[in-house]
Amino acid sequence: MRRLTRRQRVAVVVLAATALCFITLDIGGGALNSAHTGVRGALGALYRGTDTVLGPARRYLQGVPSAGTNQARVQRLEHDNAVLRGQLDADAADRSTSARLATLQLAADHGGYRILPARVIALGPGQGFDWTVTIDAGTRAGIRAEQTVTDGDGLVGRVLEADANTSVVLLAADPGSGVGARDLTSGEVGVLTGHGADGFTFVPLNPAAVLHVGDRLATGPTGATSFVSNLSIGTVTAVRSGADGTEHAEVRPTSSPTALDLVGVILVGGGGSGGGAPANTDRPALSPSIQAQGPGGQR
Amino acid sequence: MNWLRPVAALAAMLTAMLVQAALIAPIATTATVSLPAVLVAAVAVTDGAAAGLTLGFATGLLADLGSTHPAGVLALVWMLLGAVCGLAAPSRRLRSDAITVAGCCVIAAAAATLLLAVVHGAGASVGAAVHALLPDLLGDTLLAAIVVPVVRAALRGETLRAPHPSTRGLEHRALEHRALGHRALGHAVAQGPGRGGRD
Repeated sequence: MRRLTRRQRVAVVVLAATALCFITLDIGGGALNSAHTGVRGALGALYRGTDTVLGPARRYLQGVPSAGTNQARVQRLEHDNAVLRGQLDADAADRSTSARLATLQLAADHGGYRILPARVIALGPGQGFDWTVTIDAGTRAGIRAEQTVTDGDGLVGRVLEADANTSVVLLAADPGSGVGARDLTSGEVGVLTGHGADGFTFVPLNPAAVLHVGDRLATGPTGATSFVSNLSIGTVTAVRSGADGTEHAEVRPTSSPTALDLVGVILVGGGGSGGGAPANTDRPALSPSIQAQGPGGQR
Repeated sequence: MNWLRPVAALAAMLTAMLVQAALIAPIATTATVSLPAVLVAAVAVTDGAAAGLTLGFATGLLADLGSTHPAGVLALVWMLLGAVCGLAAPSRRLRSDAITVAGCCVIAAAAATLLLAVVHGAGASVGAAVHALLPDLLGDTLLAAIVVPVVRAALRGETLRAPHPSTRGLEHRALEHRALGHRALGHAVAQGPGRGGRD
């Protein structure tokens, strides 16, 4: 063990006292502020110079302990990202579903009938040979065969067969599905035949009927069709004359048969239920457009 | 070559502080490891209390002025660190010197934290001082293992050896005294209470 010499002891005491003085001065007031500032500035300049030399080494050493945890963090963030992305997609789907539901509600209010929302859970089993979709509601929800299916905007098809919890819908786009239709401009009625994704062909019953591009078509009271009337079907895009002088029109569907998600089954008609259709479902007179014309006609 | 010692001390001081600020402090985030403190302790162990307390005070004051806490805290603590390490018996073996340095530095760091807690109150507390003890021991041991050999080689070299022309006789006697005391102490420890207590 060394001993402090007398001079060293004195030095220790003096320096300790000086340090305490400094502490007191620095706490009490700003006596040492300029010294702080000056030294900090000088050291700061030196730090910058040192950092250019030691910075890369420091960054390397700082990365070493967290190399393993960084991997874990990256994985965790990727997972979080995937989850959030999924939520975004679900949100978008929810938004479109709610918009679709609102449209269906509007259609129900408009037509005065009950609409059962159902989701398309499967498309036709074939490769485009038959245009059917399967929806997730069946007889338990009140669906019967031959009921009309809409997506709120226009005609989708009719229920081909209903099981307890699912139903198969034959789309209007199916080549085998003939729909009675009315040209809303000229009032001509006719038969609409599906062509899959290519749209419909409308052949009026009256051979002398004049069709125009842009005419709107709606389901009409033709023949034995079980469709609810006055559902929008589509718009005429082209009019062609056949060899025998009859005209037929190409129709672009209002609701795309390939982009169906949420649809609504109109709970009227249908074989099993035998529900008496409300009076307004097969009468064009009660559609809002004609009601609106009423007062004008009286004037 | 008397003027070389202050110049070397200043250079070592600045180097230690810059390396501390640029490299060690960013890496040792949980510990209060300090390279300047290790340097002070190493110099003190190698060269005695006089050099230790001088260098400790100067380095501490510079570090104080360069930081935001009240000036004088580190100066006081590191000055005492230099003095205490200078009192420690000089050893022939590097390892025991390094252990002395590391131990003293850990205590000094805890003392500095406590003093800051009393004086300043921002970020320093008794809990922080206790929590930092173990990481400090680890980091200070590592630093001491590097710094002590370098300091010893530098101070035992021809250019930086402490000149004591006026007190040569005194120094000689002090050395004898020290050696005697050291031997007696070592003897006492070797046959000390630990062994006796066991039996």
